[in-house]
Amino acid sequence: MSRLSRKPKEVLQELQEGRYDRFNLTENPFPTVPVNKDSNDRRINGDIYEREIRDLEYTQIEDAFLKRPQSDLNRLRIGYICDTSYIGRGNGKSAFLVNLMGTVNRQFCLDISQDINKCFALYVSPEPGGRTKTFGLFVEQIFDSIVQSNILEICLASMRLDALAVVYPDIEKETRSMDEDTLIAELNSDRWFARKMIDPLKVSRKIGENDFLQSLPPEFPLFRDRTPLFEHFVTKDAFVHYFKSDLKKPKERLDFIFSHLVLFFMAAGFNGAYILVDDFERIPDFQSERQKRDFALELRSCILDGPYLNTRYGFYNILLVLHAGVPRLIEKAWNESGLENRYPISIKSSADHWVAFEKLTPRHVLMLVGKYLSEYRLPHTQQNGVAPFTEEAISVIAETNEYNAARVLRTCWDLLDQAADDPERKTIDAAFVRSKAEAPEFDETEGSHPFDKSTTTDLREKATET
Amino acid sequence: MAELTGKRPLQSVKKFYFLDYFYILLKSVEKYSEYSAVFDSFKNLKYEHHLGESKYKKLTVEVESPTEAQQKRYEYTFKQVIEESIEYGLIKEIRNPESFSLTTDGRELLGVHERMGLTGFNLAIFKLMEDTYEAFHILVDFMYEANPKGAGLLIFPHYSPRKLGLRRQRMRTSGDFRSYSDRLVRQLQADIKHYLKRDVKLDTKKDELLDKLTSAGLLPARDNEPFDLRDYNRITKRIRDFWIGYFLKDLYKFPHPMMTFDFWTYRGKQIGVIHATEIYPFFSGKLVYPTSVVLDRTNSQDFRDVYKYNDGRRMFLHAPRGDAFQEDFVDTLLREYLSLRRVNPNYFISLVSLRETVCYSLKISWQTFGEYLDKVYRLNLLGQLRIRIALEVDKLPEETKATYLKQEPVKVHGSYRNIIAIDVTKGEENRVQAITKA
Repeated sequence: MSRLSRKPKEVLQELQEGRYDRFNLTENPFPTVPVNKDSNDRRINGDIYEREIRDLEYTQIEDAFLKRPQSDLNRLRIGYICDTSYIGRGNGKSAFLVNLMGTVNRQFCLDISQDINKCFALYVSPEPGGRTKTFGLFVEQIFDSIVQSNILEICLASMRLDALAVVYPDIEKETRSMDEDTLIAELNSDRWFARKMIDPLKVSRKIGENDFLQSLPPEFPLFRDRTPLFEHFVTKDAFVHYFKSDLKKPKERLDFIFSHLVLFFMAAGFNGAYILVDDFERIPDFQSERQKRDFALELRSCILDGPYLNTRYGFYNILLVLHAGVPRLIEKAWNESGLENRYPISIKSSADHWVAFEKLTPRHVLMLVGKYLSEYRLPHTQQNGVAPFTEEAISVIAETNEYNAARVLRTCWDLLDQAADDPERKTIDAAFVRSKAEAPEFDETEGSHPFDKSTTTDLREKATET
Repeated sequence: MAELTGKRPLQSVKKFYFLDYFYILLKSVEKYSEYSAVFDSFKNLKYEHHLGESKYKKLTVEVESPTEAQQKRYEYTFKQVIEESIEYGLIKEIRNPESFSLTTDGRELLGVHERMGLTGFNLAIFKLMEDTYEAFHILVDFMYEANPKGAGLLIFPHYSPRKLGLRRQRMRTSGDFRSYSDRLVRQLQADIKHYLKRDVKLDTKKDELLDKLTSAGLLPARDNEPFDLRDYNRITKRIRDFWIGYFLKDLYKFPHPMMTFDFWTYRGKQIGVIHATEIYPFFSGKLVYPTSVVLDRTNSQDFRDVYKYNDGRRMFLHAPRGDAFQEDFVDTLLREYLSLRRVNPNYFISLVSLRETVCYSLKISWQTFGEYLDKVYRLNLLGQLRIRIALEVDKLPEETKATYLKQEPVKVHGSYRNIIAIDVTKGEENRVQAITKA
């Protein structure tokens, strides 16, 4: 018989029940690794987020930064989001920042500020290995996140759309029915221009009339398509190539980011930007005292009072996320650079630019766990709250994990996973949590007994050696 | 363990830890002679030198006058120091009215402090103590005997209820303490097996302890009965002292009380012949080990002959000096740094933790560690070292609310530091691999 019609003897059985069906969940909803904004997994990209937990912090940022008119030159330009306790990583700062970026970028702050500001937000995270030692390397990271954030495409699209309205009004009308993402993609594609028989040079010339663009140097990537020899359709790649290959000197790069791009963004209709710097300690952790001071001086020069257009317009606002120990680490540099006088980092009382990132409360933990569970409930299920966990169980988990968000979630993952192994178990109560938490707390001693013979010197042997 | 004949017994040691007390007494007697004037000066100098009431130095200098109870304790210490100083012939007592004067020896000792600082002074005091007690000889030999395979290391593990996963808020009944005791015993048995390679059953000892606590009225007889919450600290302290005593007396067979052992070991630590610490990374409890040996002779250049006994043997302090040791020091510093970083992924790690693991690994005193770190740090600043060291300050002890300094920060290049980061110079990576493998 041909293999085409032969059948196997064993037939696959459909599994009766999913591993987490018993708990009315599609899968284990809790994250086990820190927030990574580029991940596709909703559990770890900061997508599942209970805003109410960080309402206080968010409101302070909204009032002190997002709602203040960018045109007010006395407004704050630097802010700190600082842990108030030494409970370590995993308090939800990254998730907060990723969501803050999302909130700002949703309507470019127009909704929040009631059309006063049009700002975008960038998320910058210095490299964990300590490569980001100098301000120059930090600026490179800012540029990388500008590139990743799509803001260049959006600006190009927005400028081109404005120009089309004048030079090709019919085509501009056609675009009104397109959805925004497609429109941005088409406006950044030379094929679309060709298909629509638009002359890119004509559009480019129209764009070039913008007042803000007049003082830009001729080699600025936006003007690349005007070179007579080659016909270039400018995309974000031109910016990347220009920054990475053409600009070699640190000063040129600072001019590009803090003067030229500011004009470019303003020409595209933005009047500000928020640079959200996560894990800021990764920079000073690796710096010498001198590097710290130089960094602070350059930061001050680029944001507050140096020879850049940014300082005159106050375009970029920067928010640094700090662990509780960081102020101590950079205090001296901040003092020496004068930043401490304007935006004190070591303050005891409350100030608008200093956002205290508080520890979670018991109510917050319930909300947090409930939020994750609700995102992975089976369809049509009636359950809500923290089931299959009992509230008491959550309070035990919270207490044993010192109200650290990441550890609470990780423990929930473990407990749910262990509960799934027991077919009889339907709820996770305090007794179950305690029975699983029996092991001594410091498992780091395992396998690393500190005084094994091989790691020490026997002085009697040493003294009697011949 | 036989005590050497002709010497005073170890337990008759006067009850204070700091050798600085000898200095401040001599200073006071140098200036004043009348009892109350000497005592006043002693008190003032005690504040100035941050000498606390136990083996920890004080962080804060109190300006207010001491309470009556404190005053009494200070006077007790004062009298203890006077007695021991008279014993060593450093001062003379004159009756009616009670007053003191310096002897030639006492005056000479003050001169030693001026010329050689506290290190030289402590060493001179050490010689006087050995003349009278030979306590360090006895202790060093005892430690090597008690744990010959572990190069004289004595461990005194201790685990609080918290360390064993029990919350204080949940400790309410007698049964809670019993279950803590069960866990503690399991943990101690495992530690003894691992570190001392001995199998012991501690259940009888545990019952003995619980009976003691019950008959002292601290724990109710029945499991479900609550204990008086105000006794919580007293009960945990009793449990801790009991097990520490068990280690010293039953396991190591030391014939004197823990108190005597403590006075001598912490005095030895100030001289550099013995090391003792209560905070060691990844270990919960206290450890003590010798940083010296008692032998007829040694060929090694790394030892310093500090005392000659009547039987012809000598106390050699492990205090290396040469360049060869500097290489060892740098290798160990790097190896221990990397191993601490493995569990704590930050670039900067605690310098006091690193000091403990390096001292243990090389069997050197804090003083030697300080000297070598200072030396290699200077070389590092000149770019003459194959590793790069960054030393910084995080939160210094005096910035906390603590009263006593439990972990002295390390003074390097003239200022206190408490965190350290090490980087390897290019081209030295292979060497690092060799070190970490070794």
